[in-house]
Amino acid sequence: MVWQQENRLTYEDFIERHQLVILLISALFILLSLRLFYLQVLRGGYYRELSEQQRTHVVVERAPRGVIFDSRGEALVRNRAGFVALFYPFTQGTAPSKVVIDKLRAILKRDMGTAIIRGWRSGQAVRLADNLTREEMFLLQEQRLVLPGISVVKESRRDCQSPEAMAHLVGYLNEVTNADLEKLEDEGYRAGDWIGRSGLEGVYDVALRGQHGGWQIEVDALGHQTRLVRRIPPLAGNDLHTTIDARVQRVAYEELLKSPTGRGAAVAIDPRSGAVRALVSCPGFDPNRAFTREFAAYLKGKDLPLFNRAIQGLYSPGSIFKIISFVTAVNEDRVDVAAPTLCTGKFTLGNKTFGCWLKTGHRNITLIPALAQSCNVYFYQLGLHVGVTLLERYARIFHLGQKTGIDLPSEKAGLVPSVEWKLKKMHEHWQQGDTANMAIGQGPLWVTPLQAAQMMATVANEGTVYRPFIVSGVKTVQGEEITTFKPQVIGTVDVQEKTWRLLRAALGAAVREGTAHGCDIPGLSVHGKTGTAENPHGNDHAWFVCYAPADNPTIAIAVIVENGGHGGTAAVPVARRMLETYFDMHSTSAPVVRAVAVPA
Amino acid sequence: MMQRREEKTLFQKFFGTMDWALVLALLALLTIGLVTVFSATLHYGRPEKFLLTQAMAIGIGLGGMLLLAGFNYQYFRPMLPYMYIVSLVVMLAVLVGGTAVRGTRGWFNLGYFQFQPVEVCKLMYILVIAGYLDARWRDAKKFDTFAAGLALMGGHVMLILLQPDFGSTLTYFPVTLALMYIAGVEPLYLAGVILLAGIATGIPLMTTFIRLQPALLASHPSLQYFISATGHFGRAALILGGLTAALFIVWWFLSQLKFRISLLYPILLSGIIVAGSFGSVVVEHALRDYQRKRLIVFLNPELDALGSGYNIIQSKIAIGSGRIVGKGLFSGTQSQLGFLPEQHTDFVFSVVGEEGGFAVAQLTILLYFLLVWRAMKIAQEARDRYGSLAATGLAIMFTFYAVINIGMVMGLMPATGLPLPFMSYGGSSMVSSLWAIGLLFSIHIRRFTH
Repeated sequence: MVWQQENRLTYEDFIERHQLVILLISALFILLSLRLFYLQVLRGGYYRELSEQQRTHVVVERAPRGVIFDSRGEALVRNRAGFVALFYPFTQGTAPSKVVIDKLRAILKRDMGTAIIRGWRSGQAVRLADNLTREEMFLLQEQRLVLPGISVVKESRRDCQSPEAMAHLVGYLNEVTNADLEKLEDEGYRAGDWIGRSGLEGVYDVALRGQHGGWQIEVDALGHQTRLVRRIPPLAGNDLHTTIDARVQRVAYEELLKSPTGRGAAVAIDPRSGAVRALVSCPGFDPNRAFTREFAAYLKGKDLPLFNRAIQGLYSPGSIFKIISFVTAVNEDRVDVAAPTLCTGKFTLGNKTFGCWLKTGHRNITLIPALAQSCNVYFYQLGLHVGVTLLERYARIFHLGQKTGIDLPSEKAGLVPSVEWKLKKMHEHWQQGDTANMAIGQGPLWVTPLQAAQMMATVANEGTVYRPFIVSGVKTVQGEEITTFKPQVIGTVDVQEKTWRLLRAALGAAVREGTAHGCDIPGLSVHGKTGTAENPHGNDHAWFVCYAPADNPTIAIAVIVENGGHGGTAAVPVARRMLETYFDMHSTSAPVVRAVAVPA
Repeated sequence: MMQRREEKTLFQKFFGTMDWALVLALLALLTIGLVTVFSATLHYGRPEKFLLTQAMAIGIGLGGMLLLAGFNYQYFRPMLPYMYIVSLVVMLAVLVGGTAVRGTRGWFNLGYFQFQPVEVCKLMYILVIAGYLDARWRDAKKFDTFAAGLALMGGHVMLILLQPDFGSTLTYFPVTLALMYIAGVEPLYLAGVILLAGIATGIPLMTTFIRLQPALLASHPSLQYFISATGHFGRAALILGGLTAALFIVWWFLSQLKFRISLLYPILLSGIIVAGSFGSVVVEHALRDYQRKRLIVFLNPELDALGSGYNIIQSKIAIGSGRIVGKGLFSGTQSQLGFLPEQHTDFVFSVVGEEGGFAVAQLTILLYFLLVWRAMKIAQEARDRYGSLAATGLAIMFTFYAVINIGMVMGLMPATGLPLPFMSYGGSSMVSSLWAIGLLFSIHIRRFTH
């Protein structure tokens, strides 16, 4: 220390400023330490997570989807291995050559050149072919060395057994869209996943889909795999056990297809629980081909094959609504069971004339034969006695005009009109003629085949309205019970005992000697009612509702054949074959339709 | 007897007067640096090659350091004018005969290795400016002392910018300004220089930053006008004229309120603003587009996450993910998987932070502080003003490098491409840093000598 002593004042002046600089330096180092503390201690967890995310990459291994079984253990939909040709551009240094593209065209029989080049440029895998045949697969495998970047991958595909018959019931799948992902990301859906779009596949998608597994691999900054971190095995989806009887379902579809127009629906319900045994809409489609080119034909099909008539088709009930009129009149004591009414074949109300289907008239007819023979003139008058308010109330007690709550999507509610409804919707007053029409099931009265079956099930079990259901339980692959669905009572039809007694007598008569004679199966007592619903757009729709065996019903059926004409000829044979199948009876001789009865 | 005493004195001279805290800090930093470079180069393959090269640089550096420590720094004193000329000649020579690396003509190819002369020239400059300020200490307050000092700096800075090596020039400013301040140069002049430089670099950087955010630009028409003025003489003149007028109005108001402020201040201030604005045009042209982006993107690296902001984002992730105790040596996922760019050179500190955690990273910062603090103490204890100023200059240089580099990898400072002394892989920086320590030893050892 020399100059310090030479000039004390200058030195102290110097040191003062020097200390200030030291202070500044210290402040800078404190700033660094604070920043370090912030990054590593306060925000360390966040950055650790970021670094983990960016170093690991998950290769998804898709979970096999659950199987859908019928009530007897038959698989309605299961999985089948399919082969898919993919082009992976990731390891390709140069664009695929023309030779490769030509070879591929020779094998796959279509030109994928532009798609491959585009995929190579953008670094995205390209699906070359979805459903390889065995020959195509082997050809590709043989040429593997000269087809760099092309690989054949096994992929689990959905395989619906008897696809057309089951189509509307089980529904179909397609790939999730970006819009779905925005909504469903939290539930584990990822791009490339398949999602049920309709039917049971749609409603029970969450149960069926299982959980993806995968390989967690470590990647470096360039995305190259460096090591396998761990494998998470996929969790198979759960199986659906349904109440469906596949045999009845198939028979119903075949018979509907054979019916005069090949368009219609059939629903069978167990009246003891509401369990759906069959739910068919005809024509069907092939859900295995959902969203392929063939599928476009379905969308344009004139017969609307994608339309689920069983739960979405709204039809006039026609004469099957006479059951409601019958119950209303008897229970409210508005009719004398023994008093005959004259049917001349037509009925005049004011200046309007209403006809009976039997032009010659049923002559003097009492209540029970009137239902069995489906006499319109009798029911016009009965309806006028009862009045629209009671008819509406009883229709609603039987759960018409409201959704049944079945476990399928997009069910329609139908319509039961009322005085207020007409005033509000059509700005017209309710006329007596409207009441007469309603009593025979015409006018603005709409039911779905499912509702018709539900109504018949309620008649069969004498007053309990069950919610129809298809899935009875969800089980794991190992058979472990996850959910069980119990029958659910959603209403009761509380009527006098005599009402049921008389109705059963009338429905029995309809089959034995009435319009539904075609369903008179030896060895099985069937109760039923035909219907012929007038339709402004074409021929009448043919209805038939029934249940069996009469003394202890285990199945209630509703069948409609669109524009099929008469219920007795078009709809009854379908139900008959369904019953024979359900009760394991050998097909008896083809039902002879009596020439006398051409019911309305 | 005499012989023995002599020996004892020599021993005392060299070891007894040694600054052991500085030695400890230096050796600790070198050790952490070597281990980290080894870890950072593991995934490149052949890390021992990097380790050997680095060890060799340390060897050369330590040899030079010991020589310089033994050499009396005061002998440089009369040679300083020649030293300044030599440094200019060397830098001219590298402009003519040097090799270019990544567009910068700043290296001499010496066969086995390449050497960056600017690293040694800046040490010479520190000695020169210290000697100059010492010689002019009686006239320190005079403007020409200040101006000539700036001219000395300007000579080096110009030649370095011609390479062009923007990062290396940066260290000249804090060193020169701090030394001038301590030597007693009028602080007002220094403030003027800082303001001028701030305006000249601030305008191009801010416009670059705003251009990175098109949404912001679209929603603020005034910003658009500001941006357009940078390329439009008329608009720029309008803005500057307005600012100048505002300054004079404020001055007039204050004088009405009996604040006696010389008219010189508003004139100087507006002069600086105008000069800075025109200086910004020069800076704008001196910096390439990517450099400007790199310098400013640290304010919000997400704006250019895959471009200029990528390094900062990855480096912050690396450091932050190290948490308190780190991921363990050689186990940093960011570094070992190659997410960190330049991780053995400029971004070596993020490897320290990731693998050693807060514990080792904070220790490293403390070691740098210890080193700088000892250098400042050496300055206060030096036997003459020249040594004092030289030691302070070196301390400022180390501070600047450490703060800028560590601040950069933590997203706190602009990315300038400056290495971390004693740790970053790179021979020239290592050698010159060790030689600087040699100078500090030389000053320290001779603090008592008459």
